[in-house]
Amino acid sequence: MEAICVRGLTKRFGSREVLRGVDLSVEEGEVVSVIGPSGSGKSTLLRCICGLEGFDEGEIRLMGRSLVELSRDRAAMASTVGMIFQSFNLFPHMSALENVALAPVRVKGMPEGRAKELAMSLLSRVGMAEQAHLRPSRLSGGQQQRVAIARALAMQPRVLLFDEPTSALDPELVGEVLEVISSLAREGITMVVVTHEMLFAREVSHRVVFVDEGRIACDGPPEQVLCNPTCERLQAFLRRLLPHFGSASGG
Amino acid sequence: MSLDFSAVVPYLPLLLKGTVATVEASALSSLLGAALGLLLGVGLVVPLRWMRLLCWCYVYFVRGTPLLVQLFIIYFGLPSFGVDLGAFASGVLGLGLNSAAYVAEIVRAGIEAIPRGQIEACRVLGLSYCQTMRFVVLPQALRNMLPAFANEFATVLKQSSLLSSLAITELTMAGQQVRSVTFASFETFAVVALIYLALTSAIGIALRTLERRWSVS
Repeated sequence: MEAICVRGLTKRFGSREVLRGVDLSVEEGEVVSVIGPSGSGKSTLLRCICGLEGFDEGEIRLMGRSLVELSRDRAAMASTVGMIFQSFNLFPHMSALENVALAPVRVKGMPEGRAKELAMSLLSRVGMAEQAHLRPSRLSGGQQQRVAIARALAMQPRVLLFDEPTSALDPELVGEVLEVISSLAREGITMVVVTHEMLFAREVSHRVVFVDEGRIACDGPPEQVLCNPTCERLQAFLRRLLPHFGSASGG
Repeated sequence: MSLDFSAVVPYLPLLLKGTVATVEASALSSLLGAALGLLLGVGLVVPLRWMRLLCWCYVYFVRGTPLLVQLFIIYFGLPSFGVDLGAFASGVLGLGLNSAAYVAEIVRAGIEAIPRGQIEACRVLGLSYCQTMRFVVLPQALRNMLPAFANEFATVLKQSSLLSSLAITELTMAGQQVRSVTFASFETFAVVALIYLALTSAIGIALRTLERRWSVS
């Protein structure tokens, strides 16, 4: 089944066209990496899919339901799509556990005890059980992002969107977060990951999508898109990102 | 001329009575101001245009007119509509309604200081606007507003001296009464000023204690 279906998506900020007719289809269980230069519209695409941003033309369907109709029901929407942000966006006045348990209690009406159990099991899944009672300010960036992933999982969404989940992290903390995302990918969760981590895109995702100037310029399996890019703009993008790119693909 | 504080001493009980009235009126006004100001402050940021406009008009009017005139409208003006509250209630109401406008601005600024990302996270998690305010925005905003709140409380306390114009025997009025019998004008109002200073200092100390306690938890 198609988990995400985007057709002809157009989004303008004032007179600036950020998305110009984007078509994207993600199957259930598929892991898609979205790459592209900054300002190309990658983040805006994710923000449209999770309902944070409206759009001007086109259609978005999630798990077969139209986004417009789905977003009228907050709980149904949150159980369909979850989002992980670049800047974590944890609630600083709550412990890690309270951050994760908030939505199940308030949105789903889950009893507090059960929500705390759920939160605890999700925190252990991302390796944060021991820090469950600490506030975000006591955690490293990598730990905060892992808590944010657990928080997104708490609504048991069918689709997870990651908006540059490691871009705000110190280099030595990137690995632990990518590891958690990879393990979720292996469990078969449908994911769309906007990322600059090319190794992750190649190793973990089933498909890589290259967004350029508000359009999807390349779309295919990672080996094809990353190792044998046909489009010139993508070649240039990869060369900027990976200085040794030309020699690597040659050898 | 020489200073003679001993002339004031026999009237200290009268000044003390005035102090009690000042503290009572200020506390009640601040309570009213905080409650109404919180509602108004939230009203200034809700995604309802007419509500924002309504609250903005209130704040605009109150902050753009003198408190003394507002007090006169309530104390002298309302009785012509058959609403006669009496001096003390008029004073508390006027001071409270006035303070609410300033509290509203504090609350609005406090809410707007919460990073947008947290509010977006709430939206994606399915929390309603009210839930987002109640569980995420306000608990943080109120804590950040504490110093400004204490400042506003001290301001109300000082402005309550205007209630003397409504013939309420609060601290300033008591001072005038003492002065009119002792003729020791400087000494009397120096004592009055020191009492105000002691009260505003107490608010400052209470605030710092509260802040320290909250930051630990």
